[in-house]
Amino acid sequence: MVHQYKNNGFNIVLDVNSGCVHVVDDLVYDIIELYQEKEKDTDSGEVFEAMRSKKTEDTDEAEIKEAISEVTKLIEDEVLFSEDIYKDYIFDVKKRKTVVKALCLHIAHDCNLKCKYCFAEEGEYKGKRALMDYETGKAALDFLIANSGSRHNLEVDFFGGEPLMNFEVVKKLVAYGRSKEEEFDKKFRFTLTTNGILLNDDIMEFCNKEMDNVVLSVDGRKEIHDMMRPTANNKGSYDIIMPKFQKFADSRNQDKYYVRGTFTRNNLDFAADVLHLADMGFKQISMEPVVSAPEEPYSIREEDIPKIKEEYDKLAKEMLKRRKEGKGFNFFHFMIDLSGGPCVAKRLSGCGSGTEYMAVTPWGDLYPCHQFVGNEEFILGNVFDGVKRTDLQDTFKECNVYSKPKCQECYAKYYCSGGCAANSYNFHGHINDAYDIGCELQRKRVECAIMMKAWEAEQE
Amino acid sequence: MKHVKTLNTRNLKESMKKGGCGECQTSCQSACKTSCTVGNQTCENK
Repeated sequence: MVHQYKNNGFNIVLDVNSGCVHVVDDLVYDIIELYQEKEKDTDSGEVFEAMRSKKTEDTDEAEIKEAISEVTKLIEDEVLFSEDIYKDYIFDVKKRKTVVKALCLHIAHDCNLKCKYCFAEEGEYKGKRALMDYETGKAALDFLIANSGSRHNLEVDFFGGEPLMNFEVVKKLVAYGRSKEEEFDKKFRFTLTTNGILLNDDIMEFCNKEMDNVVLSVDGRKEIHDMMRPTANNKGSYDIIMPKFQKFADSRNQDKYYVRGTFTRNNLDFAADVLHLADMGFKQISMEPVVSAPEEPYSIREEDIPKIKEEYDKLAKEMLKRRKEGKGFNFFHFMIDLSGGPCVAKRLSGCGSGTEYMAVTPWGDLYPCHQFVGNEEFILGNVFDGVKRTDLQDTFKECNVYSKPKCQECYAKYYCSGGCAANSYNFHGHINDAYDIGCELQRKRVECAIMMKAWEAEQE
Repeated sequence: MKHVKTLNTRNLKESMKKGGCGECQTSCQSACKTSCTVGNQTCENK
Protein backbone atom coordinates (compact mmCIF):
# COMPACT_ATOMS: atom_id res chain seq x y z
CA MET A 1 0.00 0.00 0.00
CA VAL A 2 1.28 3.42 -0.96
CA HIS A 3 -0.06 6.80 0.08
CA GLN A 4 1.04 9.84 -1.88
CA TYR A 5 0.11 13.45 -1.25
CA LYS A 6 1.26 17.00 -1.76
CA ASN A 7 1.65 19.31 1.18
CA ASN A 8 3.43 22.63 1.62
CA GLY A 9 5.31 22.23 -1.67
CA PHE A 10 6.50 18.68 -0.96
CA ASN A 11 5.54 15.59 -2.96
CA ILE A 12 5.46 12.84 -0.40
CA VAL A 13 5.21 9.11 -0.94
CA LEU A 14 4.66 6.86 2.07
CA ASP A 15 5.23 3.17 1.60
CA VAL A 16 2.89 2.00 4.32
CA ASN A 17 4.18 -1.51 5.00
CA SER A 18 7.87 -0.65 5.26
CA GLY A 19 7.22 2.78 6.78
CA CYS A 20 9.63 4.33 4.28
CA VAL A 21 9.04 7.91 3.20
CA HIS A 22 10.20 9.27 -0.15
CA VAL A 23 10.20 12.91 -1.14
CA VAL A 24 9.98 12.98 -4.92
CA ASP A 25 9.83 15.40 -7.82
CA ASP A 26 6.74 15.88 -9.98
CA LEU A 27 7.87 13.37 -12.56
CA VAL A 28 8.33 10.51 -10.11
CA TYR A 29 5.15 11.52 -8.32
CA ASP A 30 3.21 11.05 -11.57
CA ILE A 31 4.99 7.78 -12.34
CA ILE A 32 4.08 6.36 -8.93
CA GLU A 33 0.52 7.48 -9.49
CA LEU A 34 0.53 5.48 -12.71
CA TYR A 35 1.82 2.43 -10.89
CA GLN A 36 -0.99 2.85 -8.37
CA GLU A 37 -3.53 2.76 -11.20
CA LYS A 38 -1.89 -0.29 -12.71
CA GLU A 39 0.09 -3.02 -10.93
CA LYS A 40 3.46 -2.63 -9.30
CA ASP A 41 4.98 -5.19 -11.69
CA THR A 42 3.72 -3.30 -14.73
CA ASP A 43 6.27 -3.39 -17.51
CA SER A 44 8.42 -0.25 -17.38
CA GLY A 45 8.02 0.13 -21.14
CA GLU A 46 4.28 0.46 -20.66
CA VAL A 47 4.82 3.07 -17.96
CA PHE A 48 7.22 4.91 -20.23
CA GLU A 49 4.66 5.04 -23.05
CA ALA A 50 1.98 6.30 -20.68
CA MET A 51 4.32 8.99 -19.34
CA ARG A 52 5.46 10.03 -22.77
CA SER A 53 1.91 10.71 -23.79
CA LYS A 54 1.54 13.00 -20.77
CA LYS A 55 4.89 14.65 -21.39
CA THR A 56 5.25 18.37 -20.92
CA GLU A 57 7.66 20.49 -22.93
CA ASP A 58 10.47 20.55 -20.41
CA THR A 59 10.71 16.80 -19.81
CA ASP A 60 12.87 14.81 -22.14
CA GLU A 61 12.55 11.10 -22.73
CA ALA A 62 15.88 10.27 -21.13
CA GLU A 63 14.72 11.92 -17.96
CA ILE A 64 11.48 9.91 -17.94
CA LYS A 65 13.48 6.72 -18.35
CA GLU A 66 15.80 7.72 -15.53
CA ALA A 67 12.88 8.50 -13.23
CA ILE A 68 11.20 5.18 -14.03
CA SER A 69 14.41 3.34 -13.25
CA GLU A 70 14.58 5.06 -9.87
CA VAL A 71 11.02 3.97 -9.12
CA THR A 72 11.69 0.38 -10.15
CA LYS A 73 14.79 0.39 -7.95
CA LEU A 74 12.66 1.39 -4.96
CA ILE A 75 10.23 -1.41 -5.77
CA GLU A 76 13.08 -3.92 -6.05
CA ASP A 77 14.51 -2.73 -2.74
CA GLU A 78 11.08 -3.32 -1.16
CA VAL A 79 10.72 0.25 0.00
CA LEU A 80 7.88 1.01 -2.41
CA PHE A 81 4.76 -1.11 -2.91
CA SER A 82 6.22 -3.49 -0.33
CA GLU A 83 4.13 -6.44 0.77
CA ASP A 84 2.21 -6.69 4.01
CA ILE A 85 4.06 -9.47 5.77
CA TYR A 86 2.57 -8.84 9.19
CA LYS A 87 -0.73 -10.67 8.80
CA ASP A 88 0.85 -13.92 9.97
CA TYR A 89 3.06 -12.20 12.49
CA ILE A 90 -0.02 -10.85 14.26
CA PHE A 91 -0.88 -14.34 15.46
CA ASP A 92 2.33 -14.30 17.48
CA VAL A 93 1.43 -10.86 18.78
CA LYS A 94 -2.01 -12.14 19.83
CA LYS A 95 -0.56 -15.19 21.51
CA ARG A 96 2.03 -13.18 23.37
CA LYS A 97 2.04 -13.26 27.11
CA THR A 98 1.17 -9.78 28.23
CA VAL A 99 2.20 -8.18 31.49
CA VAL A 100 0.77 -5.16 33.20
CA LYS A 101 3.07 -2.23 32.66
CA ALA A 102 1.02 0.82 33.41
CA LEU A 103 -1.77 1.90 35.72
CA CYS A 104 -3.88 5.00 35.64
CA LEU A 105 -4.71 5.65 39.29
CA HIS A 106 -7.93 7.57 39.78
CA ILE A 107 -6.62 9.14 42.91
CA ALA A 108 -9.61 11.49 43.18
CA HIS A 109 -13.08 11.15 41.74
CA ASP A 110 -13.73 14.74 42.49
CA CYS A 111 -12.79 17.99 40.83
CA ASN A 112 -12.59 21.69 41.60
CA LEU A 113 -13.46 22.70 38.05
CA LYS A 114 -16.67 22.14 36.13
CA CYS A 115 -15.32 21.65 32.63
CA LYS A 116 -18.19 21.35 30.23
CA TYR A 117 -16.72 18.61 28.06
CA CYS A 118 -15.41 16.38 30.85
CA PHE A 119 -15.74 12.69 29.96
CA ALA A 120 -15.40 12.00 33.68
CA GLU A 121 -18.54 14.05 34.39
CA GLU A 122 -16.77 16.59 36.55
CA GLY A 123 -14.64 13.93 38.10
CA GLU A 124 -17.32 11.58 39.32
CA TYR A 125 -17.45 9.08 36.42
CA LYS A 126 -21.18 8.36 36.74
CA GLY A 127 -20.61 7.41 40.38
CA LYS A 128 -20.05 9.08 43.69
CA ARG A 129 -17.34 11.45 44.78
CA ALA A 130 -14.45 9.56 46.28
CA LEU A 131 -10.78 9.82 47.10
CA MET A 132 -8.45 6.85 46.89
CA ASP A 133 -7.06 5.90 50.27
CA TYR A 134 -3.45 4.93 50.84
CA GLU A 135 -4.20 1.23 51.39
CA THR A 136 -5.99 0.93 48.04
CA GLY A 137 -3.18 2.80 46.28
CA LYS A 138 -0.60 0.54 47.87
CA ALA A 139 -2.53 -2.54 46.76
CA ALA A 140 -2.57 -1.09 43.23
CA LEU A 141 1.22 -0.68 43.19
CA ASP A 142 1.64 -4.19 44.63
CA PHE A 143 -0.69 -5.53 41.92
CA LEU A 144 1.40 -3.77 39.28
CA ILE A 145 4.69 -5.14 40.59
CA ALA A 146 3.27 -8.66 40.89
CA ASN A 147 1.83 -8.66 37.36
CA SER A 148 4.62 -6.92 35.49
CA GLY A 149 6.81 -9.97 34.84
CA SER A 150 10.33 -9.02 33.89
CA ARG A 151 9.44 -5.57 32.66
CA HIS A 152 11.66 -3.04 34.37
CA ASN A 153 9.90 0.27 33.81
CA LEU A 154 6.48 0.61 35.42
CA GLU A 155 4.27 3.59 34.69
CA VAL A 156 1.82 5.06 37.11
CA ASP A 157 -0.28 8.07 36.21
CA PHE A 158 -2.01 9.99 38.96
CA PHE A 159 -5.26 10.96 37.34
CA GLY A 160 -8.70 12.12 38.32
CA GLY A 161 -10.85 14.07 38.68
CA GLU A 162 -8.20 16.32 40.05
CA PRO A 163 -5.35 14.40 41.69
CA LEU A 164 -4.10 17.40 43.68
CA MET A 165 -7.31 17.13 45.74
CA ASN A 166 -5.70 14.03 47.24
CA PHE A 167 -2.06 15.01 47.09
CA GLU A 168 -1.01 13.60 50.46
CA VAL A 169 -1.88 10.12 49.20
CA VAL A 170 0.03 10.81 45.97
CA LYS A 171 3.13 11.64 47.98
CA LYS A 172 2.82 8.57 50.17
CA LEU A 173 2.31 6.31 47.17
CA VAL A 174 5.37 7.69 45.43
CA ALA A 175 7.40 6.96 48.56
CA TYR A 176 5.92 3.47 48.75
CA GLY A 177 6.71 2.77 45.09
CA ARG A 178 10.28 4.00 45.47
CA SER A 179 10.74 1.78 48.54
CA LYS A 180 9.95 -1.28 46.42
CA GLU A 181 12.13 -0.51 43.39
CA GLU A 182 15.35 -2.10 44.51
CA GLU A 183 13.78 -5.22 45.99
CA PHE A 184 11.90 -6.04 42.78
CA ASP A 185 14.33 -4.50 40.26
CA LYS A 186 11.71 -2.06 38.99
CA LYS A 187 11.72 1.60 38.13
CA PHE A 188 8.53 3.57 38.63
CA ARG A 189 7.85 6.33 36.18
CA PHE A 190 5.25 8.50 37.83
CA THR A 191 3.21 11.06 35.97
CA LEU A 192 0.51 13.45 37.08
CA THR A 193 -2.28 15.20 35.23
CA THR A 194 -3.59 18.39 36.81
CA ASN A 195 -5.82 21.37 36.17
CA GLY A 196 -3.45 23.55 38.20
CA ILE A 197 -5.94 25.07 40.64
CA LEU A 198 -4.20 23.70 43.74
CA LEU A 199 -0.70 23.83 42.33
CA ASN A 200 1.85 25.55 44.57
CA ASP A 201 5.63 25.77 44.98
CA ASP A 202 5.86 22.75 47.26
CA ILE A 203 3.90 20.58 44.84
CA MET A 204 6.03 21.76 41.92
CA GLU A 205 9.18 20.95 43.83
CA PHE A 206 7.89 17.49 44.69
CA CYS A 207 6.83 16.83 41.09
CA ASN A 208 10.15 18.03 39.70
CA LYS A 209 11.87 15.47 41.87
CA GLU A 210 9.49 12.56 41.39
CA MET A 211 7.33 12.93 38.30
CA ASP A 212 8.69 11.74 34.99
CA ASN A 213 6.08 13.78 33.18
CA VAL A 214 3.30 16.18 34.13
CA VAL A 215 0.29 17.02 32.01
CA LEU A 216 -1.09 20.51 32.62
CA SER A 217 -4.61 21.10 31.36
CA VAL A 218 -5.12 24.42 29.61
CA ASP A 219 -7.13 25.12 26.47
CA GLY A 220 -5.29 28.08 24.98
CA ARG A 221 -6.61 31.63 24.70
CA LYS A 222 -8.16 33.00 27.87
CA GLU A 223 -11.66 33.39 26.44
CA ILE A 224 -11.61 29.83 25.05
CA HIS A 225 -10.21 28.34 28.24
CA ASP A 226 -12.65 30.20 30.48
CA MET A 227 -15.65 29.28 28.35
CA MET A 228 -15.12 25.52 28.82
CA ARG A 229 -13.17 25.34 32.08
CA PRO A 230 -15.05 27.36 34.69
CA THR A 231 -14.62 27.06 38.44
CA ALA A 232 -17.44 25.79 40.68
CA ASN A 233 -18.84 29.33 40.95
CA ASN A 234 -18.72 29.82 37.20
CA LYS A 235 -15.70 32.08 37.08
CA GLY A 236 -12.94 31.53 34.55
CA SER A 237 -9.91 29.56 35.69
CA TYR A 238 -7.31 30.86 33.22
CA ASP A 239 -5.92 33.62 35.44
CA ILE A 240 -5.52 31.20 38.34
CA ILE A 241 -3.61 28.55 36.46
CA MET A 242 -1.64 30.29 33.72
CA PRO A 243 1.11 31.93 35.84
CA LYS A 244 1.54 28.71 37.80
CA PHE A 245 1.86 26.59 34.68
CA GLN A 246 4.41 29.00 33.22
CA LYS A 247 6.47 28.81 36.38
CA PHE A 248 6.11 25.02 36.51
CA ALA A 249 7.20 24.54 32.88
CA ASP A 250 10.24 26.77 33.42
CA SER A 251 11.15 24.94 36.61
CA ARG A 252 11.21 21.70 34.58
CA ASN A 253 13.52 23.36 32.04
CA GLN A 254 10.73 23.27 29.46
CA ASP A 255 10.97 19.50 29.28
CA LYS A 256 9.11 16.43 30.50
CA TYR A 257 5.72 18.08 30.63
CA TYR A 258 2.85 18.93 28.31
CA VAL A 259 0.38 21.71 28.43
CA ARG A 260 -2.59 19.86 27.09
CA GLY A 261 -5.75 21.41 25.76
CA THR A 262 -8.98 20.25 24.26
CA PHE A 263 -10.52 21.99 21.29
CA THR A 264 -14.20 21.81 20.47
CA ARG A 265 -16.63 23.10 17.88
CA ASN A 266 -16.40 26.43 19.71
CA ASN A 267 -12.80 26.92 18.62
CA LEU A 268 -12.24 25.22 15.32
CA ASP A 269 -9.54 27.88 14.86
CA PHE A 270 -7.56 25.99 17.50
CA ALA A 271 -4.22 26.74 15.82
CA ALA A 272 -4.60 30.15 17.47
CA ASP A 273 -4.82 28.42 20.85
CA VAL A 274 -1.73 26.33 20.23
CA LEU A 275 0.15 29.43 19.13
CA HIS A 276 -1.12 31.32 22.14
CA LEU A 277 0.39 28.66 24.39
CA ALA A 278 3.64 28.92 22.44
CA ASP A 279 3.52 32.71 22.85
CA MET A 280 3.13 32.20 26.59
CA GLY A 281 6.48 30.44 26.55
CA PHE A 282 5.48 26.78 26.51
CA LYS A 283 7.63 24.42 24.46
CA GLN A 284 5.71 21.14 24.88
CA ILE A 285 2.16 21.50 23.68
CA SER A 286 -0.69 19.11 23.04
CA MET A 287 -4.14 20.08 21.79
CA GLU A 288 -6.70 17.38 21.15
CA PRO A 289 -10.11 17.33 19.52
CA VAL A 290 -12.91 16.82 22.03
CA VAL A 291 -14.46 13.36 21.96
CA SER A 292 -18.07 13.63 23.02
CA ALA A 293 -21.57 12.48 22.20
CA PRO A 294 -22.72 13.92 18.87
CA GLU A 295 -25.71 15.69 20.46
CA GLU A 296 -23.48 17.95 22.56
CA PRO A 297 -23.41 21.45 21.04
CA TYR A 298 -19.60 21.59 21.28
CA SER A 299 -19.05 18.20 19.60
CA ILE A 300 -16.94 17.95 16.49
CA ARG A 301 -19.11 17.04 13.52
CA GLU A 302 -18.29 15.63 10.16
CA GLU A 303 -18.84 18.97 8.49
CA ASP A 304 -16.12 20.49 10.70
CA ILE A 305 -13.41 18.20 9.30
CA PRO A 306 -12.31 20.39 6.35
CA LYS A 307 -11.85 23.40 8.64
CA ILE A 308 -9.89 21.34 11.18
CA LYS A 309 -7.64 19.98 8.45
CA GLU A 310 -6.95 23.53 7.26
CA GLU A 311 -6.02 24.45 10.81
CA TYR A 312 -3.56 21.58 11.06
CA ASP A 313 -1.92 22.74 7.81
CA LYS A 314 -1.80 26.30 9.08
CA LEU A 315 -0.28 25.19 12.36
CA ALA A 316 2.34 23.00 10.68
CA LYS A 317 3.48 25.85 8.42
CA GLU A 318 3.63 28.32 11.29
CA MET A 319 5.60 25.85 13.40
CA LEU A 320 8.20 25.50 10.65
CA LYS A 321 8.40 29.27 10.29
CA ARG A 322 8.97 29.65 14.02
CA ARG A 323 11.52 26.87 14.05
CA LYS A 324 13.48 28.70 11.39
CA GLU A 325 13.37 31.81 13.54
CA GLY A 326 14.69 29.88 16.53
CA LYS A 327 11.30 29.94 18.25
CA GLY A 328 10.33 26.32 17.71
CA PHE A 329 8.13 24.21 19.97
CA ASN A 330 6.80 20.66 19.99
CA PHE A 331 3.22 19.80 19.17
CA PHE A 332 2.42 16.33 20.50
CA HIS A 333 0.27 15.26 17.57
CA PHE A 334 2.87 16.27 14.98
CA MET A 335 5.65 14.37 16.67
CA ILE A 336 6.63 11.33 14.72
CA ASP A 337 9.74 9.28 15.10
CA LEU A 338 10.53 7.90 11.65
CA SER A 339 14.04 6.70 12.35
CA GLY A 340 13.68 5.22 15.82
CA GLY A 341 9.98 4.83 16.43
CA PRO A 342 8.24 1.82 17.88
CA CYS A 343 8.66 -1.67 16.45
CA VAL A 344 5.97 -3.24 14.35
CA ALA A 345 4.73 -5.42 17.22
CA LYS A 346 3.86 -2.27 19.12
CA ARG A 347 2.29 -0.68 16.07
CA LEU A 348 0.06 -3.67 15.46
CA SER A 349 -1.02 -4.39 18.97
CA GLY A 350 -2.78 -1.22 19.92
CA CYS A 351 -2.63 0.87 23.07
CA GLY A 352 -2.59 -2.08 25.46
CA SER A 353 -5.78 -1.12 27.25
CA GLY A 354 -7.19 -3.97 29.32
CA THR A 355 -3.95 -5.93 29.24
CA GLU A 356 -0.83 -3.80 29.63
CA TYR A 357 -2.67 -0.73 30.79
CA MET A 358 -5.54 -0.50 33.26
CA ALA A 359 -7.31 2.15 35.27
CA VAL A 360 -7.95 1.84 39.00
CA THR A 361 -10.92 3.51 40.70
CA PRO A 362 -10.64 5.11 44.16
CA TRP A 363 -12.02 1.91 45.69
CA GLY A 364 -9.72 -0.39 43.70
CA ASP A 365 -11.78 -1.67 40.77
CA LEU A 366 -9.80 -2.38 37.62
CA TYR A 367 -11.07 -1.15 34.24
CA PRO A 368 -9.49 -1.57 30.78
CA CYS A 369 -8.72 2.17 30.73
CA HIS A 370 -9.77 5.46 32.27
CA GLN A 371 -12.38 6.02 29.61
CA PHE A 372 -14.33 2.88 30.53
CA VAL A 373 -14.49 3.78 34.22
CA GLY A 374 -18.09 4.01 35.40
CA ASN A 375 -19.37 1.49 32.86
CA GLU A 376 -19.57 -1.46 35.24
CA GLU A 377 -19.84 -4.16 32.61
CA PHE A 378 -16.17 -3.40 31.95
CA ILE A 379 -14.91 -4.09 35.48
CA LEU A 380 -12.04 -6.54 35.05
CA GLY A 381 -11.50 -7.25 38.75
CA ASN A 382 -9.86 -5.30 41.53
CA VAL A 383 -6.41 -4.59 42.87
CA PHE A 384 -6.91 -6.82 45.93
CA ASP A 385 -8.01 -10.00 44.14
CA GLY A 386 -6.56 -9.37 40.68
CA VAL A 387 -8.19 -9.74 37.26
CA LYS A 388 -11.28 -11.96 37.30
CA ARG A 389 -12.75 -11.27 33.88
CA THR A 390 -10.07 -12.93 31.78
CA ASP A 391 -12.69 -13.38 29.03
CA LEU A 392 -13.09 -9.63 28.79
CA GLN A 393 -9.35 -9.16 28.98
CA ASP A 394 -8.95 -11.55 26.03
CA THR A 395 -11.23 -9.45 23.86
CA PHE A 396 -8.96 -6.48 24.52
CA LYS A 397 -5.85 -8.54 23.91
CA GLU A 398 -7.18 -9.61 20.51
CA CYS A 399 -7.93 -6.05 19.53
CA ASN A 400 -5.31 -5.00 16.97
CA VAL A 401 -4.88 -3.43 13.58
CA TYR A 402 -5.99 -6.60 11.78
CA SER A 403 -9.09 -7.14 13.92
CA LYS A 404 -10.54 -3.85 12.70
CA PRO A 405 -12.00 -3.95 9.20
CA LYS A 406 -11.80 -0.18 8.82
CA CYS A 407 -8.04 -0.17 9.39
CA GLN A 408 -7.21 -2.47 6.49
CA GLU A 409 -7.14 0.19 3.81
CA CYS A 410 -5.89 3.00 6.02
CA TYR A 411 -2.41 4.36 5.47
CA ALA A 412 -2.15 5.67 9.04
CA LYS A 413 -2.77 2.32 10.73
CA TYR A 414 0.82 1.88 11.90
CA TYR A 415 0.82 5.32 13.53
CA CYS A 416 -2.30 4.96 15.66
CA SER A 417 -2.23 1.15 15.93
CA GLY A 418 -5.94 0.87 15.33
CA GLY A 419 -7.09 3.80 17.39
CA CYS A 420 -8.79 4.12 20.74
CA ALA A 421 -10.90 1.18 21.93
CA ALA A 422 -13.05 3.41 24.14
CA ASN A 423 -13.86 5.78 21.30
CA SER A 424 -14.79 2.80 19.15
CA TYR A 425 -17.05 1.45 21.87
CA ASN A 426 -18.71 4.80 22.53
CA PHE A 427 -19.55 5.42 18.90
CA HIS A 428 -20.21 1.90 17.60
CA GLY A 429 -20.91 -0.31 20.62
CA HIS A 430 -17.84 -2.54 20.30
CA ILE A 431 -14.09 -2.15 20.47
CA ASN A 432 -13.16 -3.44 17.02
CA ASP A 433 -14.58 -0.54 15.08
CA ALA A 434 -13.11 2.94 14.79
CA TYR A 435 -14.28 6.46 15.60
CA ASP A 436 -14.48 7.84 12.08
CA ILE A 437 -13.96 11.54 12.76
CA GLY A 438 -10.96 10.70 14.92
CA CYS A 439 -9.51 8.57 12.11
CA GLU A 440 -9.92 11.31 9.57
CA LEU A 441 -8.07 13.76 11.80
CA GLN A 442 -5.40 11.24 12.69
CA ARG A 443 -4.66 10.72 9.00
CA LYS A 444 -4.30 14.45 8.50
CA ARG A 445 -1.93 14.77 11.44
CA VAL A 446 0.25 11.96 10.10
CA GLU A 447 0.45 13.81 6.77
CA CYS A 448 1.48 17.04 8.48
CA ALA A 449 4.00 15.28 10.72
CA ILE A 450 5.69 13.58 7.77
CA MET A 451 5.71 16.81 5.77
CA MET A 452 7.56 18.46 8.67
CA LYS A 453 10.15 15.67 8.52
CA ALA A 454 10.55 16.30 4.80
CA TRP A 455 11.12 19.97 5.58
CA GLU A 456 13.72 19.07 8.20
CA ALA A 457 15.55 16.86 5.71
CA GLU A 458 15.61 19.73 3.24
CA GLN A 459 17.30 21.97 5.82
CA GLU A 460 20.18 19.53 6.29
CA MET B 1 18.95 9.25 -6.76
CA LYS B 2 18.17 12.38 -8.69
CA HIS B 3 14.40 12.38 -8.48
CA VAL B 4 13.89 10.76 -5.10
CA LYS B 5 15.07 11.61 -1.63
CA THR B 6 14.32 8.87 0.87
CA LEU B 7 14.06 10.08 4.44
CA ASN B 8 15.96 8.33 7.15
CA THR B 9 13.32 5.88 8.30
CA ARG B 10 13.37 2.71 10.34
CA ASN B 11 12.16 -0.08 8.09
CA LEU B 12 9.27 -1.62 9.97
CA LYS B 13 10.09 -5.04 8.60
CA GLU B 14 13.54 -4.91 10.16
CA SER B 15 11.94 -4.17 13.51
CA MET B 16 10.28 -7.61 13.47
CA LYS B 17 13.66 -9.18 14.16
CA LYS B 18 14.20 -7.91 17.66
CA GLY B 19 11.01 -6.03 18.38
CA GLY B 20 8.28 -6.68 20.87
CA CYS B 21 10.27 -6.35 24.11
CA GLY B 22 7.44 -4.30 25.60
CA GLU B 23 9.61 -1.81 27.48
CA CYS B 24 8.19 1.15 25.58
CA GLN B 25 5.82 3.62 27.13
CA THR B 26 2.11 2.92 27.19
CA SER B 27 0.54 5.14 24.56
CA CYS B 28 -2.07 6.77 26.72
CA GLN B 29 0.23 7.74 29.58
CA SER B 30 2.03 10.44 27.66
CA ALA B 31 -0.36 13.25 26.96
CA CYS B 32 -3.31 12.08 25.02
CA LYS B 33 -5.84 10.15 27.08
CA THR B 34 -8.47 10.50 24.37
CA SER B 35 -6.79 9.20 21.23
CA CYS B 36 -4.18 6.62 20.41
CA THR B 37 -0.87 8.00 19.28
CA VAL B 38 1.87 5.46 18.79
CA GLY B 39 4.00 6.74 15.93
CA ASN B 40 5.75 9.31 18.10
CA GLN B 41 6.87 6.92 20.78
CA THR B 42 10.44 6.04 21.32
CA CYS B 43 11.76 2.50 21.11
CA GLU B 44 13.64 1.59 24.29
CA ASN B 45 15.41 -1.34 22.68
CA LYS B 46 17.77 0.26 20.19
